[in-house]
Amino acid sequence: MEYIIHILVITGIYIILTLSLNLIVGYTGLAALGHIAFAAVGAYTSSLLALNFGISPWIGIIVGAILASVLGAIVAYPSLRLTGDYLALATFGLGVIVYSVAKNWVGLTRGPMGLPGIPAFSIFGFQFSNVWAYLLLVLVFVLITYLAIRNITNSPFGRILKGIREDEIASQAMGKSVNKYKLIVFVVGAFFAGIAGSLYAHYITFIDPSSFTVMESIAILLMVVFGGMGSLKGSFVGASILVVFPELLRFLGMPSSIAAPMRQMIYGLLLVILMIWRPQGLLGRFKFK
Amino acid sequence: MYNQLLSNGIIAGSIYALIAIGFAVIYRTVKFFHFAHGVVFAAGAYFAYTFFILFDINPVISFFLSVALACLLGIAIDRFVYYPLRKHNAPNLVYLLASFGVFIFIQNLIQLIYGAQILTLRTGPVKVGHSILGAVITDIQVFIIIVSLVLFFLAWIFIQKSKLGKAIRAVSDDPVGARVVGINSEKIILTAFAIGSALAGVAGILISLETNIEPTMGFNAILKGIIASIVGGIGSIPGALFGGVFLGLAENLGIWKIQAGWKDTIAFAILIVFLLIRPSGIMGIKTEKEKI
Amino acid sequence: MLQVHNLCKEFDGIKAVDDLSFTIEENSIVSLVGPNGSGKTTAFNLISRFLKPDNGKVFLEGRDITFFNPFRIARLGLGRTFQNIRLFPQISVLDNVMLGLGYETGERFSAALLQSRRMKREEASNIKKAEELLEFVGLSGKRDSPAEKLSHGQRKLLELARILALEPKIFLLDEPIAGLFPETKRTMLGLIQALKKKGGTILFIEHDLNSVMAVAEKVIVLNYGKKIAEGRPEEVTNNEEVLSAYLGKRRV
Repeated sequence: MEYIIHILVITGIYIILTLSLNLIVGYTGLAALGHIAFAAVGAYTSSLLALNFGISPWIGIIVGAILASVLGAIVAYPSLRLTGDYLALATFGLGVIVYSVAKNWVGLTRGPMGLPGIPAFSIFGFQFSNVWAYLLLVLVFVLITYLAIRNITNSPFGRILKGIREDEIASQAMGKSVNKYKLIVFVVGAFFAGIAGSLYAHYITFIDPSSFTVMESIAILLMVVFGGMGSLKGSFVGASILVVFPELLRFLGMPSSIAAPMRQMIYGLLLVILMIWRPQGLLGRFKFK
Repeated sequence: MYNQLLSNGIIAGSIYALIAIGFAVIYRTVKFFHFAHGVVFAAGAYFAYTFFILFDINPVISFFLSVALACLLGIAIDRFVYYPLRKHNAPNLVYLLASFGVFIFIQNLIQLIYGAQILTLRTGPVKVGHSILGAVITDIQVFIIIVSLVLFFLAWIFIQKSKLGKAIRAVSDDPVGARVVGINSEKIILTAFAIGSALAGVAGILISLETNIEPTMGFNAILKGIIASIVGGIGSIPGALFGGVFLGLAENLGIWKIQAGWKDTIAFAILIVFLLIRPSGIMGIKTEKEKI
Repeated sequence: MLQVHNLCKEFDGIKAVDDLSFTIEENSIVSLVGPNGSGKTTAFNLISRFLKPDNGKVFLEGRDITFFNPFRIARLGLGRTFQNIRLFPQISVLDNVMLGLGYETGERFSAALLQSRRMKREEASNIKKAEELLEFVGLSGKRDSPAEKLSHGQRKLLELARILALEPKIFLLDEPIAGLFPETKRTMLGLIQALKKKGGTILFIEHDLNSVMAVAEKVIVLNYGKKIAEGRPEEVTNNEEVLSAYLGKRRV
């Protein structure tokens, strides 16, 4: 039973990641492939602040999210000049660079050895180390993320994002400052991804670079596309199915040496099938342009 | 010391260049990033392992069989994945994502079949290398450089002089015009995938003579191949050679001053700089600019 | 209203626009004509700054806009349509028009995040305005369809509605009647004349000299990027150089 709650917690974290990426990719149409890098910044920031300076995770998570936003602003720059697959490549590259930094800057991140013993969230002495408590915490953040992104997209601002996705040039002809919107979208998306990263860190209490590889970024993108581009409900569905389904494999008693590649194979196959038959995803209405 | 790094750089560069050349030939005809090229590279190595080590087949026959199978794999990917996308007129990004999907699928299939452990094509003890100008270079490494150069010239002459090569260039520069003069673009694309994938297969086998075989080898390979292509000029064969060698040298000379682990960072930093400043690379071909 | 001085643009050695200068007076209808490839759309792109001119200057209401960003020029009152119709295909017809309308604060991020009452009020009033515009061009029935489902003629009308939403000081229309059935053509030309009556200034690109004759007060003729004639429609259509540009050199 505890295991099921654990899966729900992980699902919740991925939902936040998927929602935040959907804003960038699904609504605004920017091919952003390095999303996990923002989560990495959030995770490492709040962990290091807690471990080295005893700073409360409540503060750490916000600082981490802000630093992630800064990275988001940096990543936004290529999106102003590159499109489509070139942008995908550039953001992919930035994701690899962040991973590389996490792995090689041993002085800061302890590299592959990772950061163990990350303290849990606590409030008035009550520690959020129990799985049920953490689920509650994650659900609160999921709700906040959902409401924020729903508000953003369900507004004139959101309409402009869709316009940018459909046709940047026409958007400019309508007087919209396309660059400004792209910047905001990356900053906001990165912010929530940073939050997800911190939530992960203070839950698992150990992080290392292997949690933040490029494959993770592709997995999150798959969740966005599968669930539905530009559909918030779709992000819930996509993340849930893609997190839970591979766990079922483990339930079937498959050894991890088979389950792990199998899971990836399913992701890969799903990506191909989606691109050929239903690029807008399950609940989505928008395809890549 | 310097010369050793130079030599290492050239050897690595030769492999990157081979990958990039195959990638370039394919890119010329389809104009999207065939990321799965990396997994064809890995498949070449695994095919060679299967024939040569597992079934103890004569090395020369193993080599040609493996290259042929790699070639078929590349063609199969085009037929089953990219061809349907061409029918739908998909944007480039969709091809790239589908290519990622193929890559992930096949790489993990390899892992499923062969396991995650390290394998090798080497059978005997490591031979001592020759000392040239202060650098130690083995026979195998010389072999790699020579094969790469020969294949580069063959590829280049093919594209420049042969009828098929000219057809490839025609389809690349003007797909509609090419069709008007009766060139069957599907056949040309098939040819490009065949040649490119064969080259990838060769590269995969060559590198396995030097280093280990493991399921994720394709990932690093294609990334370096793409970076080499972007630097040297996307779609250009001399550009691929230049980009590959440049990347090999930059990496190896770079880690002289910085730790080895930062090799990837250097490569990607170069990629991003080029994407922002000169996406068509040093000798790149024309890609279509959006008409306003 | 709009002044163009010595605009030049070269592509791969070919002069697409060659030392082009003209003036558009306020509240006039001017037509920019010329054979295919004479640089008309390029000129539009240079004026609206989607392309960077190699040389020359553009003034809008006396202000030098030569180096402004395209979105800024749009906000300053220069609205343009595109030759190959750039609509927002996957979103609704209504949304397409609403993207042209102005908001004071509603488009801000903070307004969106907090769903401020101001934003909601602006949104409600803009929906009404958009619906009125759709009514004006006759597309009310298609309000919720995605723009990609419209026929060619309907798309042209939507483009017009969208540019009307912008409430620009000058309309730059790139081939507004191309590909339309005669009836729709007449509707469109009628709308252009109605615009002028409301005080608007229109510069439109057109191929078909006959349609131009019906509506334009002044005609500017381009050939190979150069201006070869300018004046009232009757004068221009009798001009030798114009005729030979359209019909080819006369054979003796």
